[in-house]
Amino acid sequence: MPSVGVAEIVSTVVQPDLFAAAIRIATPLALAAIGGTICERSGVVNIALEGLMLISAFFGVAAALACPVVLGITGVAASWIGVLAAILAGVVMASLHAFASITLKSNQVVSGTAINILALGLTGFLIQVFYQRTGTTDSAVLIPPLFAFDPKPSGGLATAWNWFSGVALGHTPLVYITIVIAIAAQWALYRTRWGLRLRALGEHPRAADTVGISVVRGRYMAVLMSGALAGLAGANLTLEQVGSFSENMTAGRGFIALAANIFGRWTPVGSYLAALLFGFAEALEIRLQAFIGVIKIPPQFFLMLPYILTVVVLAGFMGRAVAPAAVGKPYEKE
Amino acid sequence: MPVLELRGVTKVFPGVVANDDVSLTLERGEIVALLGENGAGKSTLMNVVYGLLTPDGGEILVDGNPVRIRRPRQAIDLGIGMVHQHFMLVETLTATENIVLGREPTRLGVVDLAVARASVVELSERYGLKVDPDKRVMELSVGMQQRVEILKALYQGARILILDEPTAVLTPQEVTELFGVVRSLVTAGLSVVLITHKLEEVLASADRVVVMRDGRVVGETRPSDTDEISLARMMVGRDVVLRVEKGPANPGEVALEVTDLDVDDDRRLHAVKGVSFQVRRGEVVAIAGVSGNGQSEIIEAIVGLRRPRGGSITLLGHDITHSSTASTIAAGVSHVPEDRHRRGLVLEFDLAENLILGDHRRMPFSRRGFLRPKAIAATAKKRISEYDVRTPSASVLAGNLSGGNQQKLVLARELGRDPECLIAAQPTRGLDVGAIEFVHKRILAERDAGKAVLLVSLELEEVQSLADRILVIYEGRLVAEFAGGQVDAETLGVYMTGGGRGAASGVSTTGGVSA
Repeated sequence: MPSVGVAEIVSTVVQPDLFAAAIRIATPLALAAIGGTICERSGVVNIALEGLMLISAFFGVAAALACPVVLGITGVAASWIGVLAAILAGVVMASLHAFASITLKSNQVVSGTAINILALGLTGFLIQVFYQRTGTTDSAVLIPPLFAFDPKPSGGLATAWNWFSGVALGHTPLVYITIVIAIAAQWALYRTRWGLRLRALGEHPRAADTVGISVVRGRYMAVLMSGALAGLAGANLTLEQVGSFSENMTAGRGFIALAANIFGRWTPVGSYLAALLFGFAEALEIRLQAFIGVIKIPPQFFLMLPYILTVVVLAGFMGRAVAPAAVGKPYEKE
Repeated sequence: MPVLELRGVTKVFPGVVANDDVSLTLERGEIVALLGENGAGKSTLMNVVYGLLTPDGGEILVDGNPVRIRRPRQAIDLGIGMVHQHFMLVETLTATENIVLGREPTRLGVVDLAVARASVVELSERYGLKVDPDKRVMELSVGMQQRVEILKALYQGARILILDEPTAVLTPQEVTELFGVVRSLVTAGLSVVLITHKLEEVLASADRVVVMRDGRVVGETRPSDTDEISLARMMVGRDVVLRVEKGPANPGEVALEVTDLDVDDDRRLHAVKGVSFQVRRGEVVAIAGVSGNGQSEIIEAIVGLRRPRGGSITLLGHDITHSSTASTIAAGVSHVPEDRHRRGLVLEFDLAENLILGDHRRMPFSRRGFLRPKAIAATAKKRISEYDVRTPSASVLAGNLSGGNQQKLVLARELGRDPECLIAAQPTRGLDVGAIEFVHKRILAERDAGKAVLLVSLELEEVQSLADRILVIYEGRLVAEFAGGQVDAETLGVYMTGGGRGAASGVSTTGGVSA
């Protein structure tokens, strides 16, 4: 193999598509992380994000594939119905977590873990039932990028344009929707009545209760919203990125999302930015793999990058993260 | 017609009748004090009125109309407001946000903070309740947090205000200020129920006193017709000594010596600044001060829970500056911590287990790493009876005891060890007169047995009745020293809040105080 210089590696890796990939990879993480933020702000730990994403990724594809047969709808429209089905699946699954942790006051980590295991088993089983094979479903139609641009010939302004369009304009709709959701949720959390009450619930539910705010209703709403957002995350994975569902395809993204929520200090925009950092690490890993023979570092190291970053960021660099004071504690009236 | 009337209210918890056929009236513009020991059922009764608990029997009438109150929202709508003993404030929200929470002025779901802030400022000025509307509650002093709570009730439209043990956390000046505010509220037409176990407050502020014991109303009187002694008798059901008799101190050799102590707090701020003092055998030295002025850090440094930044601590000549808690205990220091739930006891352990914590490594409680249940049970039995811990057996969980009995349990362990030096932080916090009497007698008994006692208390009454010497702490420095019995509460209060340095007479700055 010919020797390759550092400069060459850098110029090959640092291209618009590196950053575009970071944004793309960050999208499901960010959606789930914002869901986690809303859920934990209400005082309920949501370790089930992983399972919620997984189940909605599956039902998104399954609904999109069923559409032509059942409703006679084909093409991208079927995939959009799949997105709605994914949201619904996320909400239904989240309602289990809400019922267990709010109504039954069970341990929220145990409930979340149970949902993760259930989601893994259920999706694997349903692949066999629906598609008579193991591992992977059929492919649904991918939702295409919102804008399509051809690179312009090089030179001054054109280079800048190519960078901008390459990084920001080639994405699928949910990528943009995610950015809108992050900003809207941030605004809602700090400016609206809903946000003020949500923050009160997670910090001091009894204080909220004593001024007549329903803790149970507020927490149910929040958990179901996190289900809807995790559902969108699952839909993005299968219907915008991959096309089909394969077993355990979330591969820990739900947990990285949880970390992004913490790193983002329980704020929606913070969660998005943290997800972006993790997305960048993964995008970098994918591109650096091309140089495995050149850089004398074991390939496993690159695979580890996003996870190491998670650990380093949470343990080392962010100082003390202050969680909502009442998070994880079931609310008991006296 | 009374604004609030309770007829035969009964509330039963599993195994306990918390309220037994309780009747009570509250007239417009009146302050009624609800007096009773802890566990007498005062807070339970008011929680029923506020809709936090559902009564098992009886009737509640507001303005003469029978009402059913099942949720706080309904109480609020009827004009009932409550300031809880443990504040119902969201620490991360601002004072304004806390006050309007639940009834936020909004436009299309968006909170109109300008309108909210204006209402808060208006209310605050009308009733003389000074608050900083834009600060987050966690940044406010305890006194100001309480004013936020009162404003919250007023903002919600309260005509009947229930104050649950409002003075427990306040300085003498803040108490005076609070009762001024309460008086102005009543003048403006509100009615106030004051839950308390402090006799002097009742006599100073109430129009009428209702005394509860064991869930029942046992008497009703007016402050002008009674005094502390008879109120205490009604409340406890027997004669109590309000101020323990104390002989002169007989100080011996120096037991505990703290020199130039510097300690940081949890936020790594300099909390204790060059503090020096001595405690001799046979004397009680009290550190008086407003909560959060470095008292906790001094104690934690002495007992080995916090690493001092500088200075030295010696016990009977041995350096214990950097000793662990285990070796500090071994050296002869016992510690009654300020928070018995967090540090004093393991609430999920039974009484016997709690009684040997800290001594569990030693004979006779364990040998070669194995506990010896018989020795533990025997000691537990002895100490439970010696310290009059009221419990069916030693295998009851500590969390199931009342506050007073829990405190006796802590004392039984710490004093049962027969220490050289006792460090007692707020030893009677939240206790009623009967239990206070017991704890005070025990502390003085230690002194008279030649032990050194360091007392930290926010209760000036307690400091004055126990201390042979009083040190006043302000912002991490000792700012004054007085001989016990030579200073009044007002003077102490002035020093505790940073005033009067060197101005008052009777100040002696001997004894290693860095003034």
